[in-house]
Amino acid sequence: MTRKTLANLLGALVATALILAACAAPAAAPTPATIKETVVVQQTVPVPVTATPAPVEAPIATINFWHTYNPVETKVLEEKVIPAFEQAHPNIKVQDQTVPYDDFRKKLLTAIAGGTAPDVARLDIAWLPEFADLGALAALDTLMNDFDTYKSAVFPGPLSTNAWKDHYYGLPLDTNTRAIVWNKDVYTKAGLIGAPKTIDDFLADCAKIKAAGSTCFADGGTYGWAVMPWIWSMGGDITDPKMTTSTGYINGPDTVAAYQLLKDMLDNGYLDKAILGGGLDTYGAFAKDQLANVLDGPWMPPLFASQYPDKAIDFALMPAGKGGPISVVGGEDIALFQQSQNQEAAAEFVRYMLSPETQLALAEAGQVPVRADVADQAVKAHPYFQIFFDQLKTARARLPHPNWPKIESILTDAGQVILRGEKTPQAALDEAAAKIDPLLK
Amino acid sequence: MPHARRFSATPYLFILPGMLFFLVFLLYPLVEAFRISLYDWKIMPGAVSTFVGLDNYLRAFKDDVFWIALRNTVLYTVVTVPAQMVLAMLVAVLVDALPSGKVLYRTLYYIPVITSWVVVSLLFRYLFDPSEAGLINYFLMHSLHLIAQPIPWLREPGPAMVAIITLGVWKGIGWSMIIFLAALQTIPADLHEASQIDGAGPVQRFFSITLPLMRPTVVFVLIMLVIGGFNVFLSVYLMTGGNPLHRTETILTYMYNQAFNFLEFGYGAALSYLLAIIIFVISFVQIKFLRRPIEV
Repeated sequence: MTRKTLANLLGALVATALILAACAAPAAAPTPATIKETVVVQQTVPVPVTATPAPVEAPIATINFWHTYNPVETKVLEEKVIPAFEQAHPNIKVQDQTVPYDDFRKKLLTAIAGGTAPDVARLDIAWLPEFADLGALAALDTLMNDFDTYKSAVFPGPLSTNAWKDHYYGLPLDTNTRAIVWNKDVYTKAGLIGAPKTIDDFLADCAKIKAAGSTCFADGGTYGWAVMPWIWSMGGDITDPKMTTSTGYINGPDTVAAYQLLKDMLDNGYLDKAILGGGLDTYGAFAKDQLANVLDGPWMPPLFASQYPDKAIDFALMPAGKGGPISVVGGEDIALFQQSQNQEAAAEFVRYMLSPETQLALAEAGQVPVRADVADQAVKAHPYFQIFFDQLKTARARLPHPNWPKIESILTDAGQVILRGEKTPQAALDEAAAKIDPLLK
Repeated sequence: MPHARRFSATPYLFILPGMLFFLVFLLYPLVEAFRISLYDWKIMPGAVSTFVGLDNYLRAFKDDVFWIALRNTVLYTVVTVPAQMVLAMLVAVLVDALPSGKVLYRTLYYIPVITSWVVVSLLFRYLFDPSEAGLINYFLMHSLHLIAQPIPWLREPGPAMVAIITLGVWKGIGWSMIIFLAALQTIPADLHEASQIDGAGPVQRFFSITLPLMRPTVVFVLIMLVIGGFNVFLSVYLMTGGNPLHRTETILTYMYNQAFNFLEFGYGAALSYLLAIIIFVISFVQIKFLRRPIEV
């Protein structure tokens, strides 16, 4: 048994180290993605010198496109968008691959480390600076000579997420933001007529809603997507505009006030405890009139309608504080990878994805377009897009910095410490500032 | 005349396939992970990684979360290992004593072992939902009327560890049971019969005959379970993700988070080597002090 035990012991030792090593591929030899192409070698037949040579077939370039489209969107992509593109570009083939959102960042990082990145990918806007900083993305403004036409055609907010240092490393592909979705039945029961316009009114309404037996508001945690609308609307921020320091911003009076607001809402029972973790079925609670407000995106109406077809929902802008009614920009960017062997063909595909036709085709599947010139048409087809377009006018992007994953982790922890009452907002945010500052260097 | 030692390639050829697998999939990653742990590792092909010596290891000792993770990992092991062993032994003895239906019960108790960690972790996340809608809370509040407020299971570190440990014990019993059951069947029946004639009751027989004879098996199970306990990962990762505030983090979840979320591959590799060293030392001590010849 000694041997067996020792063998097992060694096995465990190896396995522990293996988990890590297996995933970190060797950095020494980057293997560029080999693109399989069928080149038809034509038999050379001796021809009279006078005859014109037969036109040479351009080889077919295959580009790989990774994305996280949901099944409805993927159907439009695969049945409409890609076939139309291939028809217009007979020498380019597009191979698309759906990746679940939760695995996508890790899968891309692994692929980049192994030298097998896709040609093009649709990335969460929050990830772009990180990938750009790693050197994984191609600068689109140098690669595409017509970049400025696209740059001026899209909304500036989503566009800003593609900038890192002196270049643009992508283009926005679809956008979204969070707006207030409010429950008319609960508001009526509480004796209220409409959604509040300001944070002060919001708090006053929350008191009445609580008295009527419902929870005023719920969110799933203290990550950036959840807390940034409150911080910005209260006039705060987490760094200066140039992202050089967080001291004086994340621990400045306005951000402190925003966290104090959330803490008070939690203590008063206006804010559901789900913000401390361990989920809440917000749609279910909303449908059962247990919940009066949520912040949600444009994917919510179709999803909610399919689950609770009898329950009406209404929309309003984020309530305004000192900073205005500011929400957070979400959505995806399309980016081209440095390792791509077919950058020209890939750029052509990027252009096509940004064309008005493609933007409208994907709007059919619920994707909010980024081109200003198709906004009206998209709203006509989906009236609920309007509130999100209105909210997008002031919405802002989460800190476009390569260290955002670490910064967000610090932000999330600070929020938990505050809401759990372990530290005052000022003390917790002072600590957060001290931790974030070195990450901005 | 002494035999001339002649070289023969045959044995080496037989070893070659296995050896290749060992070298490529075990030894190479092992060495490479150690190398990574000495660098500020960059994942981009062609990027230059800086050699930092033992900095990644020293960093762990100054990292509060590492100590929390280590404490949780030890706590998980210290609670789940004895709980699994005692319960598994109980079940094994009971199943062994069954006049019929042994196979059925053996299979039933083994089912949790072969189910996927992912599936049961997600199931337990629903069971231990901190709201009133969670099945456990609902049961405790509305069926048994034991509590007035829902227990914040996965929302607070303490209750979250209870949930994680419960899953670990529930899923692990079957494995130890099968091994104990096999060992029980090797104990000669005449020993039991003889002691019965001498007037020993079932409890005395268990402690004086069964347990001493099973000693090697018990030690084996102990060592394996301790190794497994220190490697707890998927259940924690899926049930709490180390939250709230990293207070349910274990070494492997923290390592995974550092490496794959923050791209700190050097630090992640160092954490996994630290864990490997801890496991190695503990197992070595266990083998050294617990293994001895069977004595009845």
